[in-house]
Amino acid sequence: MRPLNNEDVEVPKSILNRQLNLLSYEGLQNYLMNSHISPAIIMRINEFGESDLLVTFFTSDRGRLKGVAKGGRKSQKRFANCLDLFCLTSLEYELKRKGDLHFLHSCKLINGFPGLRSDFSSLSMASYMIELSEILFPLGVVDKKMFELLEHSFYALNHGARNDALRIFFEAKAMSLGGYRIDLNKCCICGRDYAGEGRAVFRPSKGSICCLKCGEESATSPGLSPESIEMLGLMQSGQWGTVEELSFSNEMIQDIKPVLKLHMEYRIGRRLKTAEYLE
Amino acid sequence: MGIYPKSLEKLIKQFSRLPGIGQKSATRVALYVLRSNREMAESLAKSLIEVKEKIKFCSTCFNLTDDDPCPICSDENRSNGTICVVEGPGDQLAIEEAGIFKGRYHVLHGVLSPLNGIGPEDLKIGELLVRLSKEGIKEVILATNPTTEGEATAFFLAKLLSEKDGKLKIARIALGVPMGGDLKYMDRMTLEHALGSRRLINQ
Repeated sequence: MRPLNNEDVEVPKSILNRQLNLLSYEGLQNYLMNSHISPAIIMRINEFGESDLLVTFFTSDRGRLKGVAKGGRKSQKRFANCLDLFCLTSLEYELKRKGDLHFLHSCKLINGFPGLRSDFSSLSMASYMIELSEILFPLGVVDKKMFELLEHSFYALNHGARNDALRIFFEAKAMSLGGYRIDLNKCCICGRDYAGEGRAVFRPSKGSICCLKCGEESATSPGLSPESIEMLGLMQSGQWGTVEELSFSNEMIQDIKPVLKLHMEYRIGRRLKTAEYLE
Repeated sequence: MGIYPKSLEKLIKQFSRLPGIGQKSATRVALYVLRSNREMAESLAKSLIEVKEKIKFCSTCFNLTDDDPCPICSDENRSNGTICVVEGPGDQLAIEEAGIFKGRYHVLHGVLSPLNGIGPEDLKIGELLVRLSKEGIKEVILATNPTTEGEATAFFLAKLLSEKDGKLKIARIALGVPMGGDLKYMDRMTLEHALGSRRLINQ
Protein backbone atom coordinates (compact mmCIF):
# COMPACT_ATOMS: atom_id res chain seq x y z
CA MET A 1 0.00 0.00 0.00
CA ARG A 2 1.46 3.35 -1.06
CA PRO A 3 1.58 5.89 1.76
CA LEU A 4 -0.69 8.89 1.38
CA ASN A 5 0.85 12.22 0.37
CA ASN A 6 -0.46 15.74 0.66
CA GLU A 7 -0.82 15.86 -3.13
CA ASP A 8 -3.33 12.99 -2.97
CA VAL A 9 -5.75 15.06 -0.97
CA GLU A 10 -8.14 17.19 -2.97
CA VAL A 11 -9.13 20.63 -1.68
CA PRO A 12 -12.87 20.52 -1.03
CA LYS A 13 -13.73 23.23 -3.61
CA SER A 14 -17.30 23.84 -2.49
CA ILE A 15 -16.09 24.64 0.99
CA LEU A 16 -13.20 26.73 -0.24
CA ASN A 17 -15.39 28.81 -2.60
CA ARG A 18 -18.04 29.36 0.02
CA GLN A 19 -15.52 30.52 2.57
CA LEU A 20 -13.58 32.71 0.13
CA ASN A 21 -16.73 34.58 -0.91
CA LEU A 22 -17.44 35.44 2.65
CA LEU A 23 -14.04 36.87 3.38
CA SER A 24 -12.57 40.31 2.84
CA TYR A 25 -9.23 40.78 1.03
CA GLU A 26 -7.36 40.76 4.34
CA GLY A 27 -9.41 37.83 5.49
CA LEU A 28 -8.66 36.01 2.24
CA GLN A 29 -4.92 36.55 2.67
CA ASN A 30 -5.10 35.43 6.26
CA TYR A 31 -7.18 32.39 5.29
CA LEU A 32 -4.77 31.28 2.57
CA MET A 33 -1.79 31.75 4.85
CA ASN A 34 -3.22 29.89 7.81
CA SER A 35 -5.48 27.24 6.30
CA HIS A 36 -3.92 23.85 5.82
CA ILE A 37 -5.09 20.45 4.53
CA SER A 38 -3.47 17.26 5.76
CA PRO A 39 -4.26 13.60 5.77
CA ALA A 40 -4.99 12.90 9.43
CA ILE A 41 -5.86 9.98 11.69
CA ILE A 42 -8.41 10.82 14.38
CA MET A 43 -6.99 9.81 17.75
CA ARG A 44 -9.45 11.11 20.31
CA ILE A 45 -12.80 12.90 20.30
CA ASN A 46 -14.37 14.67 23.26
CA GLU A 47 -17.58 16.63 23.50
CA PHE A 48 -16.88 20.34 23.89
CA GLY A 49 -19.70 22.66 24.87
CA GLU A 50 -23.18 22.39 23.36
CA SER A 51 -22.37 21.16 19.85
CA ASP A 52 -18.59 21.32 19.40
CA LEU A 53 -15.99 18.59 19.43
CA LEU A 54 -12.46 18.63 20.77
CA VAL A 55 -10.44 16.47 18.38
CA THR A 56 -6.92 15.08 18.70
CA PHE A 57 -5.47 14.01 15.34
CA PHE A 58 -2.18 12.82 13.91
CA THR A 59 -1.06 14.41 10.66
CA SER A 60 1.76 13.36 8.36
CA ASP A 61 3.30 16.82 8.14
CA ARG A 62 2.62 18.47 11.51
CA GLY A 63 2.52 15.56 13.92
CA ARG A 64 -0.09 15.24 16.63
CA LEU A 65 -2.42 18.23 16.96
CA LYS A 66 -5.54 19.26 18.84
CA GLY A 67 -8.41 21.23 17.38
CA VAL A 68 -11.98 22.37 17.88
CA ALA A 69 -14.65 21.41 15.34
CA LYS A 70 -17.32 24.09 15.80
CA GLY A 71 -20.74 22.48 15.40
CA GLY A 72 -19.02 19.12 14.85
CA ARG A 73 -21.72 17.16 16.65
CA LYS A 74 -24.55 18.50 14.50
CA SER A 75 -22.84 19.21 11.17
CA GLN A 76 -24.24 17.27 8.22
CA LYS A 77 -21.94 18.82 5.65
CA ARG A 78 -18.57 19.98 6.98
CA PHE A 79 -17.96 17.04 9.29
CA ALA A 80 -20.53 14.50 8.06
CA ASN A 81 -19.61 11.05 9.39
CA CYS A 82 -15.86 11.59 9.28
CA LEU A 83 -14.97 12.78 12.77
CA ASP A 84 -14.93 9.33 14.29
CA LEU A 85 -12.24 7.48 16.18
CA PHE A 86 -9.39 5.95 14.08
CA CYS A 87 -10.75 7.32 10.77
CA LEU A 88 -8.27 8.43 8.11
CA THR A 89 -9.48 11.77 6.85
CA SER A 90 -8.48 14.74 4.77
CA LEU A 91 -8.70 17.47 7.37
CA GLU A 92 -8.79 21.18 6.65
CA TYR A 93 -7.74 23.25 9.65
CA GLU A 94 -6.50 26.68 10.56
CA LEU A 95 -3.01 26.91 11.97
CA LYS A 96 -2.78 28.67 15.29
CA ARG A 97 0.12 30.91 16.06
CA LYS A 98 -0.55 30.91 19.79
CA GLY A 99 -1.68 28.04 21.97
CA ASP A 100 -2.28 24.39 21.15
CA LEU A 101 -5.83 24.47 19.87
CA HIS A 102 -6.44 24.63 16.10
CA PHE A 103 -9.70 25.48 14.38
CA LEU A 104 -11.09 22.70 12.18
CA HIS A 105 -12.86 23.90 9.01
CA SER A 106 -14.00 20.69 7.36
CA CYS A 107 -13.18 17.07 6.92
CA LYS A 108 -13.52 14.38 4.27
CA LEU A 109 -13.40 10.65 4.95
CA ILE A 110 -10.63 8.69 3.20
CA ASN A 111 -10.95 5.40 5.07
CA GLY A 112 -13.18 4.53 8.04
CA PHE A 113 -11.42 1.17 8.66
CA PRO A 114 -14.68 -0.76 9.30
CA GLY A 115 -12.69 -3.82 10.40
CA LEU A 116 -11.53 -1.92 13.50
CA ARG A 117 -15.07 -1.71 14.82
CA SER A 118 -16.10 -5.26 14.04
CA ASP A 119 -14.65 -6.78 17.20
CA PHE A 120 -13.38 -5.75 20.60
CA SER A 121 -9.84 -7.10 20.08
CA SER A 122 -9.33 -4.90 16.99
CA LEU A 123 -10.73 -1.88 18.85
CA SER A 124 -8.38 -2.58 21.76
CA MET A 125 -5.39 -3.03 19.45
CA ALA A 126 -6.09 0.24 17.63
CA SER A 127 -6.53 2.01 20.99
CA TYR A 128 -3.22 0.55 22.18
CA MET A 129 -1.46 1.88 19.07
CA ILE A 130 -2.96 5.32 19.62
CA GLU A 131 -1.95 5.40 23.30
CA LEU A 132 1.63 4.40 22.49
CA SER A 133 1.81 7.04 19.72
CA GLU A 134 0.54 9.69 22.13
CA ILE A 135 3.24 8.83 24.66
CA LEU A 136 6.10 8.70 22.16
CA PHE A 137 5.06 11.74 20.15
CA PRO A 138 3.94 14.78 22.16
CA LEU A 139 1.85 17.53 20.53
CA GLY A 140 3.52 19.06 17.49
CA VAL A 141 6.39 16.56 17.14
CA VAL A 142 6.52 15.75 13.42
CA ASP A 143 7.34 12.26 12.17
CA LYS A 144 6.00 11.21 8.79
CA LYS A 145 7.17 7.63 9.32
CA MET A 146 5.10 7.36 12.51
CA PHE A 147 2.04 8.52 10.57
CA GLU A 148 2.76 5.90 7.91
CA LEU A 149 3.24 3.23 10.57
CA LEU A 150 -0.13 4.05 12.14
CA GLU A 151 -1.81 4.13 8.72
CA HIS A 152 -0.25 0.81 7.60
CA SER A 153 -1.09 -0.82 10.93
CA PHE A 154 -4.73 0.26 10.69
CA TYR A 155 -4.90 -1.08 7.11
CA ALA A 156 -3.42 -4.39 8.30
CA LEU A 157 -5.81 -4.57 11.27
CA ASN A 158 -8.72 -3.74 8.97
CA HIS A 159 -7.75 -6.64 6.70
CA GLY A 160 -7.53 -9.11 9.59
CA ALA A 161 -3.75 -9.30 10.21
CA ARG A 162 -2.61 -11.48 13.13
CA ASN A 163 -2.97 -9.36 16.26
CA ASP A 164 0.08 -10.75 18.10
CA ALA A 165 2.41 -10.28 15.09
CA LEU A 166 1.03 -6.82 14.39
CA ARG A 167 1.45 -5.84 18.03
CA ILE A 168 5.19 -6.65 18.24
CA PHE A 169 5.73 -5.13 14.79
CA PHE A 170 4.10 -1.87 15.86
CA GLU A 171 5.81 -1.78 19.27
CA ALA A 172 9.30 -2.39 17.82
CA LYS A 173 8.88 0.21 15.07
CA ALA A 174 7.18 2.85 17.21
CA MET A 175 9.79 2.56 19.98
CA SER A 176 12.54 2.79 17.39
CA LEU A 177 10.97 5.90 15.83
CA GLY A 178 10.50 7.39 19.29
CA GLY A 179 14.26 7.06 19.91
CA TYR A 180 14.20 3.90 22.05
CA ARG A 181 15.71 1.35 19.68
CA ILE A 182 17.12 -1.81 21.33
CA ASP A 183 20.84 -2.19 20.62
CA LEU A 184 21.27 -5.64 19.08
CA ASN A 185 24.80 -5.21 17.72
CA LYS A 186 26.99 -5.94 20.74
CA CYS A 187 26.99 -7.19 24.32
CA CYS A 188 26.24 -4.28 26.65
CA ILE A 189 28.62 -5.66 29.33
CA CYS A 190 31.74 -7.07 27.63
CA GLY A 191 31.32 -5.03 24.45
CA ARG A 192 31.86 -8.01 22.14
CA ASP A 193 30.07 -7.81 18.78
CA TYR A 194 27.06 -10.11 18.41
CA ALA A 195 27.81 -12.33 15.41
CA GLY A 196 24.29 -13.72 15.03
CA GLU A 197 25.10 -17.05 16.70
CA GLY A 198 23.67 -18.40 19.94
CA ARG A 199 21.08 -17.00 22.31
CA ALA A 200 21.44 -13.61 23.97
CA VAL A 201 19.81 -12.00 27.00
CA PHE A 202 17.91 -8.71 27.00
CA ARG A 203 18.81 -6.14 29.67
CA PRO A 204 15.95 -3.58 30.10
CA SER A 205 18.08 -1.07 32.06
CA LYS A 206 20.67 -0.94 29.25
CA GLY A 207 18.17 -1.16 26.38
CA SER A 208 20.50 -3.71 24.85
CA ILE A 209 21.40 -7.40 24.69
CA CYS A 210 24.23 -9.20 26.48
CA CYS A 211 25.91 -12.53 25.75
CA LEU A 212 25.26 -15.66 27.85
CA LYS A 213 28.74 -15.34 29.38
CA CYS A 214 27.78 -11.99 30.92
CA GLY A 215 24.18 -12.68 31.90
CA GLU A 216 21.61 -15.39 32.56
CA GLU A 217 18.08 -15.74 31.22
CA SER A 218 15.37 -14.91 33.77
CA ALA A 219 11.88 -13.39 33.92
CA THR A 220 13.39 -9.91 34.20
CA SER A 221 16.07 -10.62 31.56
CA PRO A 222 14.38 -12.76 28.89
CA GLY A 223 16.43 -14.59 26.29
CA LEU A 224 16.29 -14.22 22.51
CA SER A 225 17.13 -16.74 19.80
CA PRO A 226 19.35 -15.64 16.86
CA GLU A 227 16.27 -15.72 14.57
CA SER A 228 14.31 -13.50 16.96
CA ILE A 229 17.22 -11.04 17.21
CA GLU A 230 17.41 -10.89 13.43
CA MET A 231 13.65 -10.29 13.17
CA LEU A 232 13.73 -7.61 15.85
CA GLY A 233 16.61 -5.94 14.02
CA LEU A 234 14.63 -6.02 10.76
CA MET A 235 11.60 -4.46 12.41
CA GLN A 236 13.70 -1.73 14.00
CA SER A 237 15.72 -1.03 10.86
CA GLY A 238 15.07 1.68 8.32
CA GLN A 239 13.59 -0.79 5.82
CA TRP A 240 10.05 0.27 6.49
CA GLY A 241 8.11 -2.72 5.26
CA THR A 242 4.65 -3.75 6.33
CA VAL A 243 3.76 -6.57 8.69
CA GLU A 244 2.65 -8.72 5.75
CA GLU A 245 6.17 -8.68 4.30
CA LEU A 246 7.64 -10.38 7.37
CA SER A 247 7.01 -14.00 8.31
CA PHE A 248 6.77 -14.50 12.04
CA SER A 249 6.93 -17.91 13.64
CA ASN A 250 5.12 -18.51 16.93
CA GLU A 251 8.48 -19.02 18.67
CA MET A 252 9.70 -15.62 17.47
CA ILE A 253 6.56 -13.92 18.76
CA GLN A 254 6.89 -15.68 22.13
CA ASP A 255 10.56 -14.61 22.30
CA ILE A 256 10.13 -10.97 21.28
CA LYS A 257 6.87 -10.20 23.14
CA PRO A 258 8.30 -10.20 26.73
CA VAL A 259 11.40 -8.31 25.58
CA LEU A 260 9.35 -5.48 24.11
CA LYS A 261 7.00 -5.48 27.12
CA LEU A 262 9.92 -5.01 29.54
CA HIS A 263 11.63 -2.51 27.27
CA MET A 264 8.49 -0.37 26.98
CA GLU A 265 7.67 -0.51 30.67
CA TYR A 266 11.22 0.51 31.57
CA ARG A 267 11.45 3.39 29.05
CA ILE A 268 7.88 4.70 29.47
CA GLY A 269 7.86 4.12 33.23
CA ARG A 270 4.49 2.39 33.37
CA ARG A 271 2.29 -0.14 31.65
CA LEU A 272 -0.06 1.23 28.98
CA LYS A 273 -3.69 1.51 30.17
CA THR A 274 -5.06 -0.11 27.02
CA ALA A 275 -2.71 -3.12 27.36
CA GLU A 276 -5.03 -4.83 29.83
CA TYR A 277 -7.69 -5.21 27.11
CA LEU A 278 -5.26 -7.02 24.81
CA GLU A 279 -4.65 -9.95 27.15
CA MET B 1 -10.81 40.13 45.37
CA GLY B 2 -13.58 39.58 42.82
CA ILE B 3 -15.87 42.26 41.40
CA TYR B 4 -19.02 40.55 42.77
CA PRO B 5 -19.94 39.90 46.41
CA LYS B 6 -18.51 36.67 47.80
CA SER B 7 -21.78 34.69 47.83
CA LEU B 8 -22.52 35.65 44.21
CA GLU B 9 -18.96 34.76 43.16
CA LYS B 10 -19.51 31.37 44.80
CA LEU B 11 -22.74 30.78 42.86
CA ILE B 12 -21.07 31.80 39.56
CA LYS B 13 -18.24 29.37 40.30
CA GLN B 14 -20.74 26.55 40.97
CA PHE B 15 -22.70 27.24 37.75
CA SER B 16 -19.52 27.42 35.66
CA ARG B 17 -18.69 23.85 36.73
CA LEU B 18 -21.71 22.59 34.78
CA PRO B 19 -21.05 21.17 31.28
CA GLY B 20 -21.44 23.68 28.45
CA ILE B 21 -21.58 26.67 30.83
CA GLY B 22 -18.64 29.06 30.76
CA GLN B 23 -17.85 31.99 33.03
CA LYS B 24 -20.09 34.44 31.14
CA SER B 25 -23.11 32.13 30.98
CA ALA B 26 -22.64 31.26 34.66
CA THR B 27 -22.64 34.98 35.56
CA ARG B 28 -25.82 35.54 33.51
CA VAL B 29 -27.62 32.61 35.18
CA ALA B 30 -26.45 33.65 38.66
CA LEU B 31 -27.66 37.24 38.11
CA TYR B 32 -31.00 35.90 36.86
CA VAL B 33 -31.36 33.80 40.02
CA LEU B 34 -30.50 36.87 42.10
CA ARG B 35 -33.11 39.02 40.32
CA SER B 36 -35.89 36.42 40.53
CA ASN B 37 -38.15 36.04 43.57
CA ARG B 38 -37.32 33.93 46.61
CA GLU B 39 -39.77 31.13 45.66
CA MET B 40 -38.02 30.53 42.39
CA ALA B 41 -34.61 30.20 44.07
CA GLU B 42 -36.01 27.93 46.76
CA SER B 43 -37.74 25.72 44.22
CA LEU B 44 -34.48 25.46 42.19
CA ALA B 45 -32.48 24.48 45.29
CA LYS B 46 -35.17 21.98 46.33
CA SER B 47 -35.22 20.39 42.87
CA LEU B 48 -31.43 20.00 42.89
CA ILE B 49 -31.49 18.19 46.22
CA GLU B 50 -34.54 16.13 45.26
CA VAL B 51 -32.95 14.92 42.03
CA LYS B 52 -29.89 13.73 43.98
CA GLU B 53 -31.98 12.04 46.66
CA LYS B 54 -34.77 10.46 44.65
CA ILE B 55 -33.36 9.54 41.23
CA LYS B 56 -31.87 6.07 41.08
CA PHE B 57 -31.30 3.30 38.56
CA CYS B 58 -34.17 0.96 37.75
CA SER B 59 -33.09 -2.47 39.00
CA THR B 60 -34.34 -4.08 35.76
CA CYS B 61 -33.37 -1.85 32.84
CA PHE B 62 -30.91 0.52 34.61
CA ASN B 63 -32.63 3.62 33.33
CA LEU B 64 -32.93 6.66 35.60
CA THR B 65 -36.14 6.59 37.59
CA ASP B 66 -38.01 7.86 40.69
CA ASP B 67 -39.62 4.49 41.37
CA ASP B 68 -38.14 1.03 41.11
CA PRO B 69 -39.06 -0.62 38.74
CA CYS B 70 -39.38 2.29 36.31
CA PRO B 71 -42.74 3.09 34.58
CA ILE B 72 -41.61 1.31 31.38
CA CYS B 73 -40.57 -1.89 33.15
CA SER B 74 -43.78 -1.94 35.19
CA ASP B 75 -46.05 -1.22 32.21
CA GLU B 76 -47.95 -4.44 31.50
CA ASN B 77 -49.16 -3.25 28.10
CA ARG B 78 -45.66 -3.35 26.62
CA SER B 79 -44.38 -6.37 24.72
CA ASN B 80 -42.17 -8.63 26.80
CA GLY B 81 -40.19 -10.55 24.20
CA THR B 82 -38.08 -7.71 22.81
CA ILE B 83 -35.30 -5.67 24.42
CA CYS B 84 -33.78 -2.57 22.88
CA VAL B 85 -30.21 -2.04 24.13
CA VAL B 86 -29.10 1.60 24.29
CA GLU B 87 -25.95 3.41 25.43
CA GLY B 88 -27.48 5.87 27.90
CA PRO B 89 -30.72 7.26 29.33
CA GLY B 90 -30.74 10.02 26.66
CA ASP B 91 -30.86 7.45 23.86
CA GLN B 92 -33.73 5.61 25.51
CA LEU B 93 -35.61 8.89 25.84
CA ALA B 94 -35.09 9.66 22.11
CA ILE B 95 -36.56 6.28 21.06
CA GLU B 96 -39.38 6.60 23.58
CA GLU B 97 -40.27 10.08 22.29
CA ALA B 98 -40.57 8.69 18.77
CA GLY B 99 -43.30 6.40 20.17
CA ILE B 100 -42.64 3.55 17.74
CA PHE B 101 -41.08 0.95 20.01
CA LYS B 102 -43.33 -0.85 22.46
CA GLY B 103 -40.91 -3.36 23.95
CA ARG B 104 -38.51 -3.16 26.89
CA TYR B 105 -35.18 -1.36 27.21
CA HIS B 106 -31.76 -2.06 28.67
CA VAL B 107 -29.36 0.83 29.35
CA LEU B 108 -25.65 -0.08 29.15
CA HIS B 109 -24.38 3.20 30.65
CA GLY B 110 -21.59 3.66 28.14
CA VAL B 111 -19.77 1.87 25.34
CA LEU B 112 -16.59 -0.15 25.17
CA SER B 113 -13.74 2.33 25.08
CA PRO B 114 -10.24 1.01 25.87
CA LEU B 115 -8.78 4.50 25.39
CA ASN B 116 -10.97 5.77 28.24
CA GLY B 117 -10.46 2.66 30.35
CA ILE B 118 -13.98 1.27 29.80
CA GLY B 119 -14.13 -2.49 29.32
CA PRO B 120 -17.01 -5.02 29.26
CA GLU B 121 -17.06 -5.29 33.07
CA ASP B 122 -17.76 -1.54 33.35
CA LEU B 123 -21.05 -1.79 31.41
CA LYS B 124 -24.35 -3.40 32.38
CA ILE B 125 -23.68 -6.43 30.18
CA GLY B 126 -23.85 -9.12 32.88
CA GLU B 127 -27.26 -7.79 33.90
CA LEU B 128 -28.47 -8.03 30.28
CA LEU B 129 -27.44 -11.69 30.11
CA VAL B 130 -29.39 -12.38 33.31
CA ARG B 131 -32.49 -10.74 31.84
CA LEU B 132 -32.35 -12.93 28.71
CA SER B 133 -33.16 -16.12 30.56
CA LYS B 134 -35.22 -14.52 33.32
CA GLU B 135 -37.64 -12.65 31.04
CA GLY B 136 -37.77 -15.11 28.13
CA ILE B 137 -36.42 -12.64 25.58
CA LYS B 138 -36.86 -13.61 21.89
CA GLU B 139 -35.28 -10.59 20.19
CA VAL B 140 -32.56 -8.07 21.10
CA ILE B 141 -32.25 -4.81 19.15
CA LEU B 142 -28.77 -3.29 19.45
CA ALA B 143 -29.31 0.47 19.27
CA THR B 144 -25.84 1.76 20.21
CA ASN B 145 -24.67 4.80 18.24
CA PRO B 146 -22.96 4.16 14.87
CA THR B 147 -19.58 5.41 16.12
CA THR B 148 -16.43 3.27 16.18
CA GLU B 149 -16.94 2.44 19.87
CA GLY B 150 -20.72 2.03 19.54
CA GLU B 151 -20.32 -0.37 16.60
CA ALA B 152 -17.62 -2.36 18.41
CA THR B 153 -19.94 -2.64 21.44
CA ALA B 154 -22.80 -3.85 19.22
CA PHE B 155 -20.58 -6.51 17.58
CA PHE B 156 -19.24 -7.57 20.97
CA LEU B 157 -22.77 -7.94 22.37
CA ALA B 158 -24.00 -9.76 19.26
CA LYS B 159 -21.23 -12.35 19.64
CA LEU B 160 -21.80 -12.75 23.36
CA LEU B 161 -25.58 -13.05 23.05
CA SER B 162 -25.47 -15.56 20.20
CA GLU B 163 -23.01 -17.68 22.18
CA LYS B 164 -25.40 -17.67 25.13
CA ASP B 165 -28.56 -18.38 23.14
CA GLY B 166 -28.26 -19.58 19.55
CA LYS B 167 -32.00 -19.16 18.88
CA LEU B 168 -32.10 -15.50 19.96
CA LYS B 169 -32.91 -12.96 17.22
CA ILE B 170 -30.26 -10.21 17.31
CA ALA B 171 -30.89 -7.07 15.24
CA ARG B 172 -28.89 -3.90 14.65
CA ILE B 173 -30.61 -0.58 13.94
CA ALA B 174 -30.30 0.45 10.27
CA LEU B 175 -27.59 2.86 9.13
CA GLY B 176 -27.69 5.11 6.10
CA VAL B 177 -28.71 8.48 4.70
CA PRO B 178 -30.56 10.52 7.35
CA MET B 179 -33.87 12.35 6.75
CA GLY B 180 -33.12 15.72 5.16
CA GLY B 181 -29.58 14.59 4.33
CA ASP B 182 -27.79 15.29 1.07
CA LEU B 183 -26.19 12.44 -0.89
CA LYS B 184 -23.45 14.81 -2.12
CA TYR B 185 -22.11 15.09 1.40
CA MET B 186 -22.34 11.43 2.31
CA ASP B 187 -19.16 9.42 2.79
CA ARG B 188 -18.39 6.04 1.24
CA MET B 189 -19.21 4.07 4.38
CA THR B 190 -22.64 5.63 4.86
CA LEU B 191 -23.56 5.06 1.21
CA GLU B 192 -22.29 1.48 1.47
CA HIS B 193 -24.57 0.91 4.48
CA ALA B 194 -27.51 2.67 2.79
CA LEU B 195 -27.24 0.59 -0.39
CA GLY B 196 -26.50 -2.59 1.53
CA SER B 197 -29.65 -2.28 3.62
CA ARG B 198 -31.93 -1.01 0.79
CA ARG B 199 -35.52 -2.26 0.67
CA LEU B 200 -38.00 -2.81 -2.12
CA ILE B 201 -40.84 -0.28 -2.22
CA ASN B 202 -43.03 -1.81 -4.96
CA GLN B 203 -43.99 -4.92 -2.99
